[in-house]
Amino acid sequence: MELRTRSTGEDSELEYFLGSVKIMLIATALSAFISMLVAWVITLLFAFIRGRRAAVATSGDAEAKPASRPAGNEPGKAG
Amino acid sequence: MHEIDLLFIFQGIATLVASDPLIAAARIVLILMGIAFVYLGAKGTLEPLIMIPMGIGMSSVNAGVLYLGGSTMGTIFLNPMASEPTQLMDVLQINFLQPIYTFTFSNGLIACLVFMGIGVITDIGYMLIAPFRSMFIALWAELGTLLTFPIAVAMGLTYKEAASIAMVGSADGPMVLYTSLILAKDLFVPITIVAYLYLSLTYAGYPYLIRIMIPKHLRGIKMDPKQIPNVSSAEKMTFAVIINTLLCLLLPVAAPLFMSFFLGIIIRESGVKPFVDFISGPVLYGATFFLGLLLGVLCEAATILNPKVLLLLVLGITALLLSGIGGIIGGYIVYWTSGRSFNPVIGIAGVSCIPTTAKVAQKEAREASKFAVILPWAMGASICGVITSAIIAAVYVTLLR
Repeated sequence: MELRTRSTGEDSELEYFLGSVKIMLIATALSAFISMLVAWVITLLFAFIRGRRAAVATSGDAEAKPASRPAGNEPGKAG
Repeated sequence: MHEIDLLFIFQGIATLVASDPLIAAARIVLILMGIAFVYLGAKGTLEPLIMIPMGIGMSSVNAGVLYLGGSTMGTIFLNPMASEPTQLMDVLQINFLQPIYTFTFSNGLIACLVFMGIGVITDIGYMLIAPFRSMFIALWAELGTLLTFPIAVAMGLTYKEAASIAMVGSADGPMVLYTSLILAKDLFVPITIVAYLYLSLTYAGYPYLIRIMIPKHLRGIKMDPKQIPNVSSAEKMTFAVIINTLLCLLLPVAAPLFMSFFLGIIIRESGVKPFVDFISGPVLYGATFFLGLLLGVLCEAATILNPKVLLLLVLGITALLLSGIGGIIGGYIVYWTSGRSFNPVIGIAGVSCIPTTAKVAQKEAREASKFAVILPWAMGASICGVITSAIIAAVYVTLLR
C-alpha cells in the first residue's frame, strides 16, 4: 500500500485525513475478519473434540454393556 | 593546593545551573514527578510493579546529568540514539543500562518476554466458553484503537505516529511498545510512557465508566455456570498450537508476539513446573521491572519537552476512553441478542489489559449482586482482547511500515 506523506495545503490535508479514514476502515475489516476466523476455528475444533469424546464414550458404553447386562434380558431370550 | 571548583564536583547542580532555563525547569519537574510516582506506586494508587522502578529511574536520570567531556551534557545511564556500531560498542561499555536497552528493549524482546509471562498466567479455557461472543466484545473494545487513528491524523500526526498512539486504546503495554518501536521510533519513549501511565489508572477509572453506562440491575445479572466447558490440558494445548500457527501465517509481523503469548499458554498447560515457575516468576517480573526502570531512565527533560507529548497525552486518554465505551457497547449488544441473559459489564473486559479489566468487571458485578460471578466470561473476553489487539497491531504495522 502506497502511503502519502503529510504536506501543506488544505486539499492535501483533507486527502491525508481521508486516507487515514480509509486505513481505519481497512484495519477494521481485516481485524474483524481475522478475529471471526479465529473464533470459527476454535468453535470447529471444539465441536470436533466434543464429537470425538462422545464417540469414545459411546464405544466405551457399547463395550461395557454386554458384561453388565442381566442374562435374562439378552436378546432372543424370553422373560 | 589547586583551587577546587565546587560546581565541578557537584556536576548535577552545575548542569542544572548551566542549562537552558526550560530544560532546567523540566528536569526539576521530572525529578519531583519521579518521586511522586514512587510514592503513589508504593501507596497502590498507581501500578507499583511499573511505577516504582519508573519513578526512581526518572528522578535519577534527571538529577544525574554531568559533563561528558567539554561542554556536552549527558548521563551515564544509556543513550537511546546510539545506533552506529562503533558508537554502540563504546556506549555499551560505559552506560550501565545500555546492554539491557540494546539487547532487550530496542528490538522488542522485552515486550515478548512480558507476553510470554502473560501467557503463562492465562487459562485459555475461558476463551472456549463462548468464542464468538468473546471475540465480538473484544472487537468492540478496540473502538479506541481504531477511531483514535484518524483523530490523531486530524490533530497533525503522521500515519505511523497516529497508529502508534492509537494502540494505547488496546490497553496492552507490550503491544504499544512493539508497535511504536517499529512505526514511530522517535516517539516511542513518550508513547510508551503515556501508555503505561494511563494503564495504571485503568483500574481506578473504568469502574466509574461502568457505573455511568450500566444500571445496577444489569450489573448484577448472574451468568449460568453450566456454560463453562470442561477442557483438558491436552485440548487447550491443541487450541493454542493451531491458533498460534494460523495467526503467524496470517500476520507474520506480529509472529514474535503471537508465539510468545501462545508459548506461555502451552508451557502452562504442559505442566512442566520448572518452566512455569521460571516464566511466571523471574522472566515476567524481571521483564516488568526492567521495562519500568528503562522507561523511567528514558524520561529525560529533552524527550518530554517534545511539543507532541501534550497531544499524545490527550490522544492516549481518548483512545482508552473510547475502547472502554466500545467494550460496554459490545457487552450491551450481546446482552440484547442473548435474550437479556448476558451481563453487559463483561464488555469492559474486552479491553485486554489482562487480568485487570476482568477483575474490574467481577468487582463491579459483585458490588451490584453478591451472587454474580462473571470472572470466567470476563477472562474469556480479556484473552480475546489480547488476540484482537495483536491482530490490529499487526494490521497497522503491515499497512504502514
